[in-house]
Parts: sequence; C-alpha cells; structure tokens
Amino acid sequence: MAGGGWRTKRGRKAVAAVVFAVLGRGLVAAARLDERVRAEAGAWPEGTVITLGIGPFGPQVSWRAGGGMLEYLGGAEVEPTLAVTFKSVDGALPLLLGMKSVLGAFAEHRATVTGDLALAMSFVRCLHIVEGYLFPDLMTRRILPRPAERRAGHLIAYGALVHRRARLEGASS
Amino acid sequence: MIPDYYEFCNSTKIVSGTRALEHIGYELAALGASRPLVLTNTQLLELKVATLVLDALADTEAEVVGVYQEIPVDSSASVVDDVARAYRESGADAIVAVGGGSVLDTAKGATIVLSHGGTLMEHRGAESLLGRRAVAFIAIPTTAGTGSEVTSAAVIKDTERHVKMGFTSLSLLPDVAILDPRLTVGLPARLTASTAMDALTHAVEAVSCVQANPLSDCYAKAAIGLIRDHLPAVLDDPQAPAGRLALANAALMAGAAFSNAMVGIVHAMGHAAGGVAGIPHGDAMAVLLPHGMAYNTDAVGDRYGELLLDLAGADVYASTPADERAAASIATVRAMLDMLHTTAGLSVTLGQLGVLPEQIPDIARAALDDGAMSMNPKQPSFEELVGILKGAL
Ligand SMILES: [Zn+2]
Repeated sequence: MAGGGWRTKRGRKAVAAVVFAVLGRGLVAAARLDERVRAEAGAWPEGTVITLGIGPFGPQVSWRAGGGMLEYLGGAEVEPTLAVTFKSVDGALPLLLGMKSVLGAFAEHRATVTGDLALAMSFVRCLHIVEGYLFPDLMTRRILPRPAERRAGHLIAYGALVHRRARLEGASS
Repeated sequence: MIPDYYEFCNSTKIVSGTRALEHIGYELAALGASRPLVLTNTQLLELKVATLVLDALADTEAEVVGVYQEIPVDSSASVVDDVARAYRESGADAIVAVGGGSVLDTAKGATIVLSHGGTLMEHRGAESLLGRRAVAFIAIPTTAGTGSEVTSAAVIKDTERHVKMGFTSLSLLPDVAILDPRLTVGLPARLTASTAMDALTHAVEAVSCVQANPLSDCYAKAAIGLIRDHLPAVLDDPQAPAGRLALANAALMAGAAFSNAMVGIVHAMGHAAGGVAGIPHGDAMAVLLPHGMAYNTDAVGDRYGELLLDLAGADVYASTPADERAAASIATVRAMLDMLHTTAGLSVTLGQLGVLPEQIPDIARAALDDGAMSMNPKQPSFEELVGILKGAL
C-alpha cells in the first residue's frame, strides 16, 4: 500500500484515506439501496453537510444531504453542519479497519463531535449499517451492536468487491 | 480490570462539610474573582436556601453584581443566552450557581457562550470546545442527586425545536463545588429518596458501562456504600447534618464516576419515559434500575457480584456464594426500593407513575435513540425493550 504501509504515520493516513473513500461511496449507495439508511438520511435537514475526518492534518470525507439522497463530496474543503473528527490517525484506524465499533471509539474518547448530537447518533447508526456490508461477519459480530443484517443485494456485491480488492492488495504488499 | 484505553478527569475542587459555604469568599479570591453573578431560582430564594449563599457572600470582599433568579425547571438555550447577556451587562467576573441540575446546567451553558462567543446553539457537540473557560465558576448543589457539580456534561433545551441538546466538554467542569449540609436538610422525604436513587443509578451504571475504569469504579463504589449507610437514617431524621452531607458526597462521587464512565440502559429508558410520559427523572430511575440490571446481568461478568459488597455490606457479601452475588445485588436494590416505597412513598412501578400500556412502544423507541443506550454493555432490540418496560409496568 501507499506511503510505506502501517509503519509510518503517512502510511496509516493513506490507508485511512482509502477507507474513507470506500466508506464514502458505500454510505451514498446505502442511502439509495438500504431502507434503514434511506430512512435515517432522508430525515437529515436539506443541505446538511457531514464530515468524517482525522484532525488536524489527516484525510476526511464529506457528504451532503438533499432530496432524500446523499451526495459524495470526497475530501473537498467544506463547512460541515456536523463534524466527527478523530483525535489521531491511530485512534481512527481500528475503527476504519473494522476492529472497533464507532460507538466504541466514542466511548474511548477517540473522536470529537461538532454539531447536533442527535444527528451524530443517526449518522453513527448509518455507519454501523454500512460497516455491516463492508466487513465480513467475523468482524461485525465483534463490533456491531447486533449481527449485521444485509438487506440490499447491490450493496452486498459492493462489499464483496471491496473484500476481494483488499485481499489482492494484502497479497501483493 | 484496566481497559485497553480510558480517560478520567475530575478537576473540580471539592469543599465539603460543616459551614463549608462560609469559605466562598476565599474560593472566589483564590480564583482571582471578586464580582460574582449568582444564578438560582425564585423557589430557592423563597425557601431561604439561596439566601444562605447570599448571606455567606455578604461577609466577603466580593461584591455580588446581580442575582439572576428566572431559571425555569428545564434549562433552555434562550435562558442561557439571556444569562450570558446579564453577565456581560453586570460586569461580573464569576458565576456562582445555586440549585439543582437545571440551574447548574444553565450556568454551564452560559460559560460556553461567555468563553466562545456567539449563541449556545453554535457550540453543540461532544469534546469539541477547546481552550480555557473565560469565567470563574462555583457550583453549589441544593439536591443530592444529579452530581452536575462535577460532571462534564450539560443538557439544555433547544427552545425553537423543543428537543434536548447535549454538550460534553471538560471545560464545563466547575472550578469549585461546595457541599454544605444546610443546603439539603430541608428536602422533603420523597425528593430525598428519588434523588438518592438517581445517584445510586449513576453509580451502578458507571460500573457496568463500557467505559468503566479503575478510577470511576472507586468513586462509584464509595457512592453506593454511602447511600446504603445513610439514606435510611436521613429519612428517619431528615435534619441530621452528617447524613445529609454523606448523601451530598455520594451524589457528587456518583457524578464523577458517570461523567467519566457514562450511564446506560436505565438512563436511556428514563430519559425516554420523561419525554413520552413526563415522569420525573429520579422516580423513573428508582423504578427502572433493578429491571435494567436484570437485563444486563449476563453481559457484565461479575461486576454486579462485586457490587454486593457496597450494596449490602461485608457480612452479606461474605456469606453469599460467588455465583449468587449478582442476583443478590439486584435483590438488594429491589429491597431498597420497597423500603423507600414504605418510608418515602416512592413508586415501584411505571404504572404507579402514570405510564399507560399504550405508551410503552413510544418509550421503547425513544430509548433506543437515546445516547445513553450506546454506552450500555448490551444493546437491546425494540422487542426486548418493550419486554423490559412491560415488566416494570
Ligand atoms: Zn440520572
């Protein structure tokens, strides 16, 4: 993987950026295809911008809610309505790699929330659902509040694709 | 048990004991402040409780620049912004908050606005406020329950959207908390009992939640022991200052415990019952605590078993086989609630508190969405929650 893998901070940030991109598009797809995420994200006020990132110099990913859909804004500079910011890349990685739950990260004070906490809870519920598609059962059993339910066929395919790519990249590094 | 990672902070100076209030002048001077704005409510002034603080302040070098007494039962964003305005106009350099949870939370909100500018709404979040607080802040609780004088959280109502907003930041911790038994000797029996059960719930949930750590455990267990030892005696003799001081300390310690370790399912259900059916917080905690413990039992290992020592004392702990201690802890909490039903008139079921069977699904749904639920050691499904709540009906 880019930038020297896990051993350097730059490498870990590069890994985080890749996961953000996968998670970013995964959430957009889930808001279209999974009725639970659609219900949550559909209730976010029009124009809400949510940013998930690593402060102060790490990668980030943002979404904008509108018309009952989510728009993927990638790592663009935005003025978020809600920002969930990890205090360090090392605090973020266990979560981004499916080794720890979002709520577990909050409980351990790994992240800060700027904005409405009720909106943050809704966002976290969505992330849990997306993680259920992206990570294999072996992981989600440990990190999710309840066993992952995968309800949208297209997303299952997207998750499988991510697994296959990850395995290929793992084998070549 | 040391968690893989934890944080703990209780930076508030505790001033506790006989005539502790009389040290308020020194404490203000130590903070470099001399022009306090006193926050309280009319009822506490009429009951001559807030007057004790004003009298103590009169005999100091500090000059009270104002008494803001229009704080409602539910602290709200508009009141917070108004307090900040009053503070600026009066030229104050400190806030002395005298009251229960709503007065203390209003004060916390005002310190956010005064330190960071703008309006309260702009500063919503968790751990997102950086930098020092610009206001010296002394908290003087007049109930022994919420522990707000040592918690890093505030709950304030959004006046326009009618929802409760949460704020957490270490900068909300008061500089000083003063516990003086004169402030709580006048509390009626029922309120004494329900606020003590709130404190007990803070302690028990702090021990079982996902962020429990060795330091929060110390505070929580000490709080439980104090409530066990002193609550029955205080109900017997409400004017006894030693017992009142012990309960005030218990509430404070339980507050320090849950401010760091969080609360869980009992608070989630209680917040929801408050929102849906208007049930007072302490009453809901008293009824729901044993039910929440019973649900959590299989997820908390021997944590509830350990608590038997604090809940029931050394003799009972030693004579109870290890594998029966968790159940005995829950039975002890139930017995305590029954005792408080007889001596102080506390309700033992949600039905007695006026909850209707048809409100249960709404309460369950709101509890699932409550932030406290996410820190519980076990996540219930909607159906499980309905079952727990029906069991408490
Ligand atoms: Zn409480």
